[in-house]
Amino acid sequence: MFATKRLSKMQEHLPPGIAIVKSDNLEEWQMDIKVLDENPLYLNQTYRLKFTFNNKYPIEPPEVQFIESPASSGTPRSIPMHPHIYSNGIICLDLLGSAGWSPVQTVESVCMSLQSMLTANTRDERPAGDKEFIATNRRRIRDIKFVYEDDDV
Amino acid sequence: MNLQEFLAMEETRDRERDELIDLRGLDLISEYDSHLMCPICHCPFVEPVRLQCDHVFCASCLSSAITTFRSADSEEFPCPSCRNPVQTVSANVPRLLINMCDEIRVRCPLIAEGCEEIIPRGHVQSHVEKYCGYRLVPCPDASCDQVTRSKDVGMDQKCIHTVRRCSRCEGDVLEQEYEEHEKELCPVLEVTCSDCQTVLSRGALAEHVETCTEVAIPCAASKYACPVKIRRADIATHEQSCPLVATGPYFEAQNARLNSLELSVRHLQQRNEIFEDGIANIRSTLGESARIAASAHGGAQATQTGREQQATRAESNTDDPADIAASIFSSNATTYLLSLHESLREEVSQLSHAITDLDARASMAIMNESMRIKEDMAHTNAALNSVRMQVQWLINPRLHQGTRGAVRTNTSNEEPSAAGPSQSSAQSLGHLRPRRSSDSGREGTKL
Repeated sequence: MFATKRLSKMQEHLPPGIAIVKSDNLEEWQMDIKVLDENPLYLNQTYRLKFTFNNKYPIEPPEVQFIESPASSGTPRSIPMHPHIYSNGIICLDLLGSAGWSPVQTVESVCMSLQSMLTANTRDERPAGDKEFIATNRRRIRDIKFVYEDDDV
Repeated sequence: MNLQEFLAMEETRDRERDELIDLRGLDLISEYDSHLMCPICHCPFVEPVRLQCDHVFCASCLSSAITTFRSADSEEFPCPSCRNPVQTVSANVPRLLINMCDEIRVRCPLIAEGCEEIIPRGHVQSHVEKYCGYRLVPCPDASCDQVTRSKDVGMDQKCIHTVRRCSRCEGDVLEQEYEEHEKELCPVLEVTCSDCQTVLSRGALAEHVETCTEVAIPCAASKYACPVKIRRADIATHEQSCPLVATGPYFEAQNARLNSLELSVRHLQQRNEIFEDGIANIRSTLGESARIAASAHGGAQATQTGREQQATRAESNTDDPADIAASIFSSNATTYLLSLHESLREEVSQLSHAITDLDARASMAIMNESMRIKEDMAHTNAALNSVRMQVQWLINPRLHQGTRGAVRTNTSNEEPSAAGPSQSSAQSLGHLRPRRSSDSGREGTKL
């Protein structure tokens, strides 16, 4: 109901390193984020996020994942290396699950959380069991039961 | 009030809200302070309520958040802003806050009907219900089922949907449009052409403008940037001398050519993309085959050749595509080997994990089993002991009887009545005792 207004209001002033790529409808948005500090893992890289909203947003969390974009499109995008990001772009972050989500959060705040999650990371690796997860996961992101095991990354 | 009361109250209020105007859908005109914005719906607060932690939300936003985030019927709920547990909701919000929200200027929601009024948000409901002239009301005539704007319902309360015949043009006009028609639109009314000053009827005006010699019209080559716009009477002489009119056909031909070229370029681009995809596919399959070959030849050899090739590449540094392809294959081979190594190492560590796990489990099982066996043995020991006692007890009277029997043979015929009961009592004891001790023995083993 009121999600419409809320989404369309954001576009005016964005925090640094965050840009809207596509926001022409209210089901799916795409955002570009950059890591602003000198972290060598993500230096001079831009990553693309896909937000999928359902009609209960912001009471329910949006589905957020990184997406790839081929070099031929002019804006090559990859999936960032992170021990909580699977190579198909699915992110294991508690505040994107229905338990950790709060309706106070916005697209902006989610982008900033992801920026800081990347900034703080020093490990150039994928989560344990990445290959099996990608091969076997057919569920929707919302239905995946993540175990948020370590809090330090 | 506690959460349960709040939810119950919201439910009853929700039903009332259906008839009210949705304040969140209004078009806000004035800027407002961002602190007046509900963090959930991002609109100025509507019926704000306050939590213990001093965070304020719209009542309806909060109730939907509570129903979603509260774990089944618990007394607590984490505040959406600070996640502190909250037990009570207070409707006691500073009047100042409510006033500031009600002061925000909004456009009347009936703008689609024509109302252009701008009013404070707090007055929207009463404006739409009572004062807005564009509110649609049923026609005052009971027999008419149409709606009309409230401002059009005159003092006389008559239906304005009846058809009325214009006295001049004989046309049928709705009652509500009649006044306007009579003054401005009736085709019989006389108007003057603004260019040639001829007086004629409104109905004929459009036709007249098409032919009027005084009306200024643009040159035929205006789409090729000829700026001339002159009276229709003079346009023919201009067009004869206008260079742009003369080159018009040429321009048109060029345009057509450009269009067709653009089309073919787009077509070629598409084909190019398809080809590029194909090349990428071929490249990846080549890489894979090289990898397979490398793994077949064994790791050491492959890395060696890879190093050699890299060395040759560094030396020659040519742009020979074959060379580049070879180096790609070799680097592919090394990365493949590395990844293979990595995955093997992972497998080994997994295996060692599994082994320690198994070890722990086996020792646990052994311990369990031996404990049970020990217990069993204790039981058996106890049973054995009891059996031994029983046997001893049985032997004792037998020995006793043996000595007494020897005595009795001497005196048996003298006292049969005395020997009988003593014998029978000994027999009955002999029957009873063993059974009882065997029972206790069985109980022992059972335990």
